[in-house]
Amino acid sequence: MTKCPACLVGFARGDFPALAQHLVGRAEESDSDHVRWLNQNLTRRKTDAPALVAPLRAYFDLGPDSLTRWVKIRFISKFFGKTPHPFVAALQHPTRATLLGYVVEHQHFLRQWVRSCAFIMARTDQPEVIQYELDNLSTEYGGSGPGRPSHYELLLRMGESLGVDRAVVLSTPPLPATRRAVEQWNEMATREHWVAVLTAMHSLELIANRDLVDDGATVHYFDPTILSGEEIPTAAQDFLREGYEADVGHSDRALALASRFAGELDLVEEVQSVFLRSIDLFDDYLIARLERAGQYEA
Amino acid sequence: MKRNYDGCAICNSTWGNVWAEVDGERLFFCCDLCVVQYRGLLERIQRETGWSTIDSIEIAGDRRGRTCDVTSGKARERFLFAFTPEGALLRFQRSVRPSVNSG
Repeated sequence: MTKCPACLVGFARGDFPALAQHLVGRAEESDSDHVRWLNQNLTRRKTDAPALVAPLRAYFDLGPDSLTRWVKIRFISKFFGKTPHPFVAALQHPTRATLLGYVVEHQHFLRQWVRSCAFIMARTDQPEVIQYELDNLSTEYGGSGPGRPSHYELLLRMGESLGVDRAVVLSTPPLPATRRAVEQWNEMATREHWVAVLTAMHSLELIANRDLVDDGATVHYFDPTILSGEEIPTAAQDFLREGYEADVGHSDRALALASRFAGELDLVEEVQSVFLRSIDLFDDYLIARLERAGQYEA
Repeated sequence: MKRNYDGCAICNSTWGNVWAEVDGERLFFCCDLCVVQYRGLLERIQRETGWSTIDSIEIAGDRRGRTCDVTSGKARERFLFAFTPEGALLRFQRSVRPSVNSG
């Protein structure tokens, strides 16, 4: 099955004419998600559906590459291209406000993270996928005893080191873009195939994958020099270092599993579209971190 | 008002089919979000400059960050701006217009 990358409605596998017709139709209705996808990925100039078929095929074509490589190229293009995502730019040498924006919005992301991963585990019949998710959740949410706090705990400690109590963080509702993203990730987790959810969620860990510069990323998620020295508090260094060290393995292992099972189960096209929807939500969610940061600026 | 875009007034896309009146002009937009963005942008420019009317607006850039060169009579200004996913201004700041003589 192929799916619309803006709304995930399904079509027969390889039916790009139907997908093109759908995109043109929804754009004609001025639906912002469909117009946005066309604008950002294919063309800003209105065309008829037949003229979109070849560009769509080319966009989804893996060519000689693996699904993993295709995912990385799309991810880099969106977040680490010539003009990196504004949150990535802000995180190179973050202000207190940027880090607090990160803390307040990201707690909502991580709470959804657990649910999304749990859906993957509930639906897969592959022991290695379950083992991967257990390892991931332990790092991200559960922790491994007092000496190895979870990423979630490190996030809250970062907030405290910047003067915001965890009770305040935990009681702050998400901004609209975060709320929308979390709701749609939850819906995705409940409705889509576990291989697609695996790809859609764990590809997001590419954001902190320091090896992406070898694949063409123009910058890292943050300037690694901030992990030493006194530019940011120790608790912030601890939080960022955890992702910096864990997310290469998290994203690469997940994408290897995704590539393998998407191929074996003949799910490549739908996995691609669910991934594309997920990174659009992630793009907006990262902007919400900056929006929240604005509330902490002097 | 004179504009440089022939498509959507904020992003120049020709997809979509939204027509909205802004400052007495009926303008084309690709989606409702761009209407919100454009109205917010004009309001902010007028508040920042104190101009009662804007004669021309020239927008460049993309969603990661845009510039607009605006004029009112002989007055000229350049602003940098970006929006939130809901269309509110995330960033808005005055910028220096490059001199026409600069090389």
